[in-house]
Amino acid sequence: MSTQLRGTDVVIVGLGAAGGVAALPLAEAGLSVVGLEAGTWLDQRDFAPDEIRNNYRDWPMLVKKAEQERPTSRATSATTANQIGGHPMMNAVGGTTLHYWAQSWRLNPWDFRLVSETTRRYGASRIPYGSTVEDWPFGYDELEPYYDRVERELGISGQAGNIRGNINSRGNRFEGPRERDFPMPPLRWTAFHDRMADAARSMGWSPFPGPAAINTETYQNRPGCGYHGFCNKGGCPINAKNATHITTIPRAVDTGNLKVVTRAHVTTLEVGTDGRVSGVNYVVGSNEYFQPAKVVLIASYTYENVRLLLLSKSRAYPDGLSNNHGQVGRHYFSHHQGAGVGALFPYDIGAWYGLPAQGVAVDDWADDNFDHSDLDFIGGGNLWAMSDRRPISAASMSTYGQGRNWGSAWKRFIHEHSDRTHGAYIQKTTLPYEDNYLDLDPQVTDPLGLPVIRITGQYKDNERAIAAFMQDKMEEWYREAGAIEVNRGGLGNTMGASTHAYGGTRMGDDSETNVVDRWGFSHEAPNLGVLGASVMGTSGARNPTLTSQALSWRTAAHLVESWTDIAE
Amino acid sequence: MTDSNGRRPAISRRDLLRTAGAAGAAALVPGAVAAVTEETPATPSPASTGEVQGQVGGSLPSEPAPFFARPLTNLTARETEILSAMVDRLIPSDEMGPGALEAGVIRYIDRALSEAESDAADAYRSGLAALDTYSRYTRGGPFIDLSTIDQDSVLIDVQIGAATGAGVGFVGGSGSFFNLVKSHTWQGMFGDPEYGGNVNFAGWDLLDYPGVRLRVSPEDQRRMEAGQLEPVRRSAYDYSIFE
Amino acid sequence: MKVSVPVVLGAALLLGVGSASALRGQAPTTFIVESPTMTTGRFMPRDYSPDGRNLSPPLSWRGLPIGTRQLAVISQDYGAGRPPPWVHWIIYNIPGDAQGLPEGIPFDPDQPMPAEITGAVQGNNGWGLPAYRGPAPPPGSVHNYHFAVFALDEELNLPPGLDRGELLLAIEGHVIGQVDMVTLYERQPMNEFPR
Repeated sequence: MSTQLRGTDVVIVGLGAAGGVAALPLAEAGLSVVGLEAGTWLDQRDFAPDEIRNNYRDWPMLVKKAEQERPTSRATSATTANQIGGHPMMNAVGGTTLHYWAQSWRLNPWDFRLVSETTRRYGASRIPYGSTVEDWPFGYDELEPYYDRVERELGISGQAGNIRGNINSRGNRFEGPRERDFPMPPLRWTAFHDRMADAARSMGWSPFPGPAAINTETYQNRPGCGYHGFCNKGGCPINAKNATHITTIPRAVDTGNLKVVTRAHVTTLEVGTDGRVSGVNYVVGSNEYFQPAKVVLIASYTYENVRLLLLSKSRAYPDGLSNNHGQVGRHYFSHHQGAGVGALFPYDIGAWYGLPAQGVAVDDWADDNFDHSDLDFIGGGNLWAMSDRRPISAASMSTYGQGRNWGSAWKRFIHEHSDRTHGAYIQKTTLPYEDNYLDLDPQVTDPLGLPVIRITGQYKDNERAIAAFMQDKMEEWYREAGAIEVNRGGLGNTMGASTHAYGGTRMGDDSETNVVDRWGFSHEAPNLGVLGASVMGTSGARNPTLTSQALSWRTAAHLVESWTDIAE
Repeated sequence: MTDSNGRRPAISRRDLLRTAGAAGAAALVPGAVAAVTEETPATPSPASTGEVQGQVGGSLPSEPAPFFARPLTNLTARETEILSAMVDRLIPSDEMGPGALEAGVIRYIDRALSEAESDAADAYRSGLAALDTYSRYTRGGPFIDLSTIDQDSVLIDVQIGAATGAGVGFVGGSGSFFNLVKSHTWQGMFGDPEYGGNVNFAGWDLLDYPGVRLRVSPEDQRRMEAGQLEPVRRSAYDYSIFE
Repeated sequence: MKVSVPVVLGAALLLGVGSASALRGQAPTTFIVESPTMTTGRFMPRDYSPDGRNLSPPLSWRGLPIGTRQLAVISQDYGAGRPPPWVHWIIYNIPGDAQGLPEGIPFDPDQPMPAEITGAVQGNNGWGLPAYRGPAPPPGSVHNYHFAVFALDEELNLPPGLDRGELLLAIEGHVIGQVDMVTLYERQPMNEFPR
């Protein structure tokens, strides 16, 4: 028996990176907001620098919802999808921002105009076969003020490379123009980073420090980073990592207009006879509730956003909410960030104390920053040399062909080399394709009996060509810095469940090929909004989080401005 | 007890480590029989980590490796013997320093099987039996009776998945059993001593890991790069914020 | 009592090595490779596989080409690997005056090489180990195991840990003799021969 609750202006499903940001402008504008979060509140006391717990016992899965809904995946529709591994995302107030690496990048202008720019420079035939990629409905300049706002609300540290057209070579000379610098300087570099930067410059590249949602000095009364070394899949014990549970969410709560409901497991969205969303069904334990709302924003991460829509069938939407054009689940891709490169150095790197957001970036081989005339791909990747080392993972390093990885001879090896290995993951341009998509798995269900998401996705020739090219560049960089051994991962095949999952509810002006409009609201159900990377149509060569947060703020701000049009 | 926004007290370390002490506490004293108790340790006793409370750095008393003296909670005496012999070859005690047995890896594994990894208990049982069967059929004796050279030879074949003769009994391949034991051994050797392993920081010292600190200044970093940073010998849970 | 059976071989075999064995316009010559415990074309004893003690088998050779200064041996299976062959063993820098390889070459880098092959080093087999690891074909299938012996005209003194491709590249132009001894293996059931 479901309890019908008192209505609210807005329901946000999921208080992670995107939902946690949208809550603030809505609450500040005086709207009544209910945030439904499947997880719970956590705080500093839960974030011990404990590698076993963080990295080997999957502590982020304390609340099991996402884990039990983890998608199945398959390369093509010719095979059966399998459910493997753990779900990469976390249920909590603040979501995965509690433990993420906090790299916090803006997309480059090219990412918004990939089709028209490629066509202009190389011809339309260079758009890879089978790709459904479109230009975004707006350009970088439209999003710039929201990037700026969110960088300040959360606290992003970095070094600007382009302020209103003035290039600063200490930053990224390829970035889109910023109105002003970051609110805080970038994370410091180690001697190894200096060495990698020197090596990059000696090859004519332009290295710069990466941006991070991590304090480098006291900001909003929270201290600067302690560089303790447990940031990778670890919460921050000193609140220097700017997750939404210590930034935008508590400020929204303080307005008195945001009510956070924890352990709320949303099952479906309700639709009225008028085709508008009327509210949200959720369970807490064995108790069922219906939360009526004038507007619903789903922000439960890409897989769950798509799943909620597909599960919410009604007479107006027989194939799932907002799916009358068959676009829910389409244009999906997992970011190609594998095909990494590892290296062995003949000197210690000093990586015990550091974090994955601390590092040297090179964008010379990203996007269209170099001439692709004689190449067989478009786009590129970001090269990133970070710091990340903890004892168990260090002791598990490859022996780089120097023999057995256990025993007495190995003890001598590890004693010498424990701080001498480095690994790079490389974020690359990834595109949507006709035959890569999300749908509901026909077999596998969650504990409630609801089907989980099935990923059908494969990296295509363009992605694999970029991957091979970028591995060459990373190896070149490593060797220039003195690496004596380099190894490479495979070029990638099946798109598995990823922390960088894009599409499924793509944003665009054309309702035939996109689920939401340029403001993030459904083309079909006008009071349904979508937050998160599921609205993004291209990936760029960087993490999606800051972009999804900027889009989220923009969607919320638009909702406030257009309240009567959307909600009434 | 939650506030109106669902905020509740943080999960305590005790909750997170659940039955950490069930086997561990009783396994501290050599010769004692491990009994399953309801106690959980509030703070690590000196014998469990080999560290004197409040003392950082300096030389610490070494604890005799607690194995063979009594059965563990999740493994029979026989299984413990075979596992100990295997783990002793993975990270032996030698001139580079203490090995896995001295570092308390067996205790780590037993606790892990109790608290967080109970699915693995079956895999251990069948895998250790298969290891012994494989040793007898191919090397002519039980695993614990083989020379260290032959034990290593067996383990190499188990690791590379070649120990797959019919009737040996590795479920899912010998390589997956090897990887299970190796990953637990590495966690026990190089993980936080709170979990029962890395006794006297033997694992962290082998790696020259400078220890758990909450703040690392630029000066600390420079000194570490110059090889001049003294290791901090503390568990993460010795920092009072995490109790 | 050792039983030596001469290897019956026709012309020298070029084992997919391409031009690696051509030297100064001469084709490499054959010599004799035998084993006290194995017979070419017949099944290997189980102790050279993980069904037994997994020792490296003994080899003996004679009639080496004049001018042989060092030798190299690769043990490989063309019926496995992606792409084939799967490499079971690589050993090189074998002294030119050695008469073969004794049984049970150490797999542990801390154990010394037998005196008669002082200086020999092992390269990385298909599992990435500098050791001999014997046949483990899928049960029910018979595979062929080649012991390719290369006689070299120079003391190349190559570094340890080379894989097959690196070794073949390094000995290119130095091979004055080459012989391939082929034996068979099929997995033995564990419970038929309890020890």
